[in-house]
Amino acid sequence: MVGSDQHRRDVLSRIRSATHGCTQELSQINSAYDALPRAYFRQSHLSNEMLCERMLERLREYDAKVVECAPTELPAAIAGQLLVSGKRTFVAPPGVPLEWMGSEFTWKVDNQLTTEEIEQADGALTGAFCGIADSGTIVLHHSETEGRRLISLLPDWHFCVLYASQLVEMLPEYFGRCNVPPGLATFISGPSATADIEMTRIKGVHGPRFLVVVLVRDV
Amino acid sequence: MSESVTERLSPKRSRLDPEFAPPFPEAALPILRDPQVRKNVAHATDVIQAKRGKLVIEKTDWRQLREAASAIRSHALENLGAYLEEFELRCTAAGGIVHWASDAGEARQIILELLRQENASSVIKIKTMTSAEIQLNSHLQAAGVEVFETDLAEIILQLGDEEPSHIVVPALHMNRSQVREIFSRRMGLEGLSDDPEALTAAARNYLRDKFLKIPTAIGGANFLIAESGSVVVVESEGNGRMCLTVPRTLITLAGIEKVLPRFRDLEVMLQVLARSATGERMNPYTSMWTGIKPDDGPQHFHVVLLDNGRSSILARKTERQTLKCIRCAACMNTCPVYRQTGGHAYGSVYPGPIGAILTPQLERMKHAQSLPFASSLCGACYEVCPVKINIPEVLIELRAQVVDGERHNLKRLLDPIYLGMKVASFVFQKAWRFRMAQLLGRKALRFFTRRDGWIHSLPSLGAKWTQTRDLRGFPDQTFRGWWAAERGSRNGRV
Amino acid sequence: MRASLFITCYNDTLFPETGRAVVKLLERLGIELDFRTEQTCCGQMHANTGFRGEAFSLAKRFIQLYGQTELVVIPSSSCVAMIRDQYPGLIEELGSDSLRREFAALLPRIYELSEFLIDQLNLEDVNAYFPHRVTYHASCHGVRSLHLGDRPYRLLSRVRGLTLLTLPNVDRCCGFGGTFSVKNADVSSAMLAAKLQDVVSTDAEYCTALDNSCLMHLGGAMHRQYQGMKVIHLAEILASTDSSLKGGRG
Repeated sequence: MVGSDQHRRDVLSRIRSATHGCTQELSQINSAYDALPRAYFRQSHLSNEMLCERMLERLREYDAKVVECAPTELPAAIAGQLLVSGKRTFVAPPGVPLEWMGSEFTWKVDNQLTTEEIEQADGALTGAFCGIADSGTIVLHHSETEGRRLISLLPDWHFCVLYASQLVEMLPEYFGRCNVPPGLATFISGPSATADIEMTRIKGVHGPRFLVVVLVRDV
Repeated sequence: MSESVTERLSPKRSRLDPEFAPPFPEAALPILRDPQVRKNVAHATDVIQAKRGKLVIEKTDWRQLREAASAIRSHALENLGAYLEEFELRCTAAGGIVHWASDAGEARQIILELLRQENASSVIKIKTMTSAEIQLNSHLQAAGVEVFETDLAEIILQLGDEEPSHIVVPALHMNRSQVREIFSRRMGLEGLSDDPEALTAAARNYLRDKFLKIPTAIGGANFLIAESGSVVVVESEGNGRMCLTVPRTLITLAGIEKVLPRFRDLEVMLQVLARSATGERMNPYTSMWTGIKPDDGPQHFHVVLLDNGRSSILARKTERQTLKCIRCAACMNTCPVYRQTGGHAYGSVYPGPIGAILTPQLERMKHAQSLPFASSLCGACYEVCPVKINIPEVLIELRAQVVDGERHNLKRLLDPIYLGMKVASFVFQKAWRFRMAQLLGRKALRFFTRRDGWIHSLPSLGAKWTQTRDLRGFPDQTFRGWWAAERGSRNGRV
Repeated sequence: MRASLFITCYNDTLFPETGRAVVKLLERLGIELDFRTEQTCCGQMHANTGFRGEAFSLAKRFIQLYGQTELVVIPSSSCVAMIRDQYPGLIEELGSDSLRREFAALLPRIYELSEFLIDQLNLEDVNAYFPHRVTYHASCHGVRSLHLGDRPYRLLSRVRGLTLLTLPNVDRCCGFGGTFSVKNADVSSAMLAAKLQDVVSTDAEYCTALDNSCLMHLGGAMHRQYQGMKVIHLAEILASTDSSLKGGRG
């Protein structure tokens, strides 16, 4: 075991004496935690219609491509976007519904795909857990429908299906939707970017350079 | 690789080593003479500040968010031991391995041992200031491990053999043609244009292969979540996601102060961090993971928790707030001193206002003693700090410590500031002494006062003033002299 | 109404005209002014340079001198900031219980000049006349410690004949910072140059502020490099009623 127990004891004992050795009861700590001031906005008053509008606006600001559709139109909307991209080979997580995967394209469902196979695909199709309209953020919890992290990372295109019912206005509301902390979470707010050179914002460094969102109006 | 071997191949000394860096006034001078650097710094900080300003106005609960952010960080620090232990428990239960390091040397030793176990001859790195703090790269290189930085700014600095000058935009002191020169030379790309798009594409190509082939990554953490044992990394480029997802082994180095009590605390921290750091509502990518997930991402995960002086800061009442810092760099973006000097003048990987208080403390006040004085105490940093660190208050406290530490040093008798302060203190104890000093001062300065009533040149400490400023000569009559003359005996004598 | 004037060590010695203006102004407004001759210095310079023990002893002296006063007016926002921001910590650490009590009683009676006029006298118009183009520099302590807000502007807006010109980057530090101006003279001068550029760009005749420390810094550079403008403390503008009074320095 690298780094012995002694190091651990030393660090913790210094911390304890720095915080006056309070080996506080967890209940005491929890009371103090619950009493912390939280007067910031935690609840939205926007209608779902307005949430959709806001989300679309933010996504467009990021130069993400967005289309809306009714639930029955979803497979066609997806196929339409895949066609427009001009790409052919896509990866999808195993939980993605079959009707999302149009036969005009080549699909690799992720049952233990190798990194090379994913890297060679043109794009990835996934679902999502939540959309945060205020910042145009898409949250993935990497479930069966969203796929493991590599899927939405390596290919140059990311096609993401987001439902209107998954939208919230502000970040605290997303946390409100998590009953327990997710083991994995990726927050995507636009394609990757850097401003390291003269503060000029350049999009698409690593990670998908093209983000396409299909917003399903299921509310 | 034992520690003795690595020490023998002594690593290259960084210019940002507080132990050897020149004092701030000396370090600042060459940069003050470099208009290009100052222009780059002013441009970059203006851009971020403008963006931040707009978003702060838009966020009508900004004040409440700041209040909450400050309270959450203070609470976490008050209960640091308990929260760190909870983090360790949960992270370990999820398959992570947690290590503890008292200081930089221990941390490096732990990491080198882990790399030895991996037979790692190279690593990919996500930018982490903490690794720069412990000078990890140069020690890894001395031990024969090739280090590939993957942040664009870090690549620029690494290939250009430069040092970071800012916490969030480390290469902001450089412009596009400087970057083009470095890339074309080090990546062997003739005919590379200086368009930022082309430069970024060059970096993307340079790194792709490394992301996919190098099985060991080292990164940092923006936050550690005690409740779930999770780690959070906030980034823009996607290189973080690459390093956190593709390799077989991930080593996360994190200062002990990074811990947050609960997952939902991110609802506050992420809102204030993105706006403060880059002037965005949300940065492009934030990743959170917990230990190991089978078939998804690294299957070996280590966290190295670093003390390196933080527990000493924790112990001190006024200084503890230093540890609330979430490394957003808003303070240096607004600092009028940083605007003139850039980051290198601070002789530390942590520059600007936060660096002025953090660096000397991490050095246990043995080095970087000029940094607490590298400020006009204007308070702009405190105004923008998302976690409400009262930086001026800490600066003044550290100044007192530096001065108290010098009180037994004979050299202080040669210091005009020290002598001036002691004389002034003596004089101010009695009004008659003050009046005498005013009289003597007026007489002494008459020698330096020109016919127009102004002083253009003074000796010793005064020369520091008169190098760029005139000083009006002492008026013939002080205010109290006037009052006594006008108001007579009712209130005393001349 | 009675009030006691704390002139500040540097105003007393270097800018007595500001003190005279404060007296003229406040007496014109019907205030009976007192000047405690035992006053010297609030201790700010010592506190900010790290000489904490010395600062405490000056703080104690200040508190004991003014303990029984009705109100204290101070034409310097940095000195008021010292009393409000730093005295509590110094007394907590080094003072006795009785000193703590004395200070608690004194603190609410301390006023910076513009606070005194607006908050205590409820006045914006002080019958001033100053027919010149003026720009206002917002000293850091006034903005960030005292939260003076628009008080200075309200006072300036009622001065007859005065044209107020907006200063770009109005609340960016001028670079004085007390001993910073000599300990880090080069950086201080660079900050000063940037500030001077902003000030000169307004094409004002006068640059004013609530702190002579900033004005000494700016005025010193103006006198060296740019003769087209003078600095003047806000008190002197507010005291001015005579069109022939030139005033200002630099």
